[in-house]
Amino acid sequence: MVNPNNKGEVIFEDVTRAVQTKKTETIVMDHCSFVVESGKMTVLIGPSGCGKTTIINLIAGYEKPDRGKVLVDGVPVTGPDWERLVVFQETALFPWLTCYDNVMFGPLATKVMSREEADEQAVMLLEKVGLQDFMDKYPMQLSGGMQRRAELARALINRPTVMLMDEPFRGLDAMTRELMQEYYLRLVEESHSTHLFVTSEIEEAILLADKLIILTDKPSRVKHALDIDLPRPREASILMSKRYLELKATVLEILHEEAVKASKASGKADIDIESGLRT
Amino acid sequence: MSVSDLKATSLFWKQVRKNVINWTTVRRIMSVVLFLLAWTILVQFTGQFHQIPTPKAVFAALFQLDLGGIFIEIFRSLLRVLGGFFIGLIIGLPLGVAIGYSRIANYLIFPAVEMVRPIPPIAWIPLTVLFFIEIESQIVFLTFYGAFFPIVYNTMGGISEVDIRLPRAAMSFGVSKLGMLWKVILPAAMPQIFTGMKVAIGITWLMVVAAEMIASKGGLGYWVWYHHTVMEYPMVILGMGIIGLCGALCSVCIDVIGKRFMKWRNIF
Repeated sequence: MVNPNNKGEVIFEDVTRAVQTKKTETIVMDHCSFVVESGKMTVLIGPSGCGKTTIINLIAGYEKPDRGKVLVDGVPVTGPDWERLVVFQETALFPWLTCYDNVMFGPLATKVMSREEADEQAVMLLEKVGLQDFMDKYPMQLSGGMQRRAELARALINRPTVMLMDEPFRGLDAMTRELMQEYYLRLVEESHSTHLFVTSEIEEAILLADKLIILTDKPSRVKHALDIDLPRPREASILMSKRYLELKATVLEILHEEAVKASKASGKADIDIESGLRT
Repeated sequence: MSVSDLKATSLFWKQVRKNVINWTTVRRIMSVVLFLLAWTILVQFTGQFHQIPTPKAVFAALFQLDLGGIFIEIFRSLLRVLGGFFIGLIIGLPLGVAIGYSRIANYLIFPAVEMVRPIPPIAWIPLTVLFFIEIESQIVFLTFYGAFFPIVYNTMGGISEVDIRLPRAAMSFGVSKLGMLWKVILPAAMPQIFTGMKVAIGITWLMVVAAEMIASKGGLGYWVWYHHTVMEYPMVILGMGIIGLCGALCSVCIDVIGKRFMKWRNIF
């Protein structure tokens, strides 16, 4: 993965973010700092509900930090921008547009490329994600996996500086998920964008990542950052390699520690959880 | 006729037998037959309803109907309904969009709208005399008023209930403010806007009938009321039926237009 412009570096600097509900104020993120290197694939992993989506929202500019800074290429984030593109949990395709028109939406809105060029790109991307025969279908006519693939194409056509993936394959069955990961790997390895991928699946995290950031449970902070030195291009078969297993063991250990701490903190039956995780 | 033609015809009849002549159809017809039967029995065997014409009498009245005359009345009512409906749409839709889209507009407009809304539209009839001198304008104002609230409310609701991820996604794609409204918010709210229009056209029919009964300026409402004053009750019921039919047809029209507008919703 080469990044000629060396753009798309995201810096989280001492970010604190609290969410007010009716009565209480929950601190979702507490003095959280990390760097997403430009042109690389960084994966955030942490227990569900630990504030991963908040991180995505902060970088995308949908939310603002209460304290600290979110910098993209040295410039503080002030609001949404088409250089930072989010792919959401579950599909957010426009249901009133066909698959093809969904993909064309971005280029036609920003007009950074001509209609002909956009059309060429859209067809190429849809072919790459295996949707060439479904271009004229509406999202509701597609299966869950197809919708996600359409969404990938819709995001990638904009060549964003930063791609923010918020558990994009969540809720898919295991087979489809694996297929999606392969499609995604192929697309990522050709793209020059910075990718930030959020997940709660260890396997997925290691398979995709250049760098893995493990978050603590609420309030989220960086627990550990880890370079994933598996060779590229990667395929699902890498999940059988020795190096993968070593990495997985390391990650599991760190996550386990965190889970125990979380359960102790909340005063739940920590013995059960401990023994459960060890088996 | 060739063999394949024969095959096609037999297939056609098989389809008809399967889809049209079945228990579901029989039950549906039975529903109507039972209704007419209950009507007849109530009229003929109870003292309470004995003055009401039987279905048979109403059916007989159909042949005495002055077709040319009734079409003129239908046309008059329809013009009033459509006039009020479209004025309601032209004013109500942008207002609903504004209230749903902008918080400031919401605070400025919505409380007043909410204050007036609970008043049943028919209660406005006396006041309209002060608004307009011409009876035609009075009636159209009333139909407009009937259409206005369902359109405003449903447009507003449709817009405020748009899945937040859609405008967010659109923002990530660099859409302009105007593009956001035209290309994202309005299409997303379209189903509910059409629901509002369907409710609205029903209420405009309600309003036109009420207004015409009072105004004596022609139209189906007047026509029914006139036959009531001369005690021709089969005609009254016939008129009621025609009003119902017109209302239903208008509703179907909106459905058809809605389906054209929202192809993505009827793909199955």
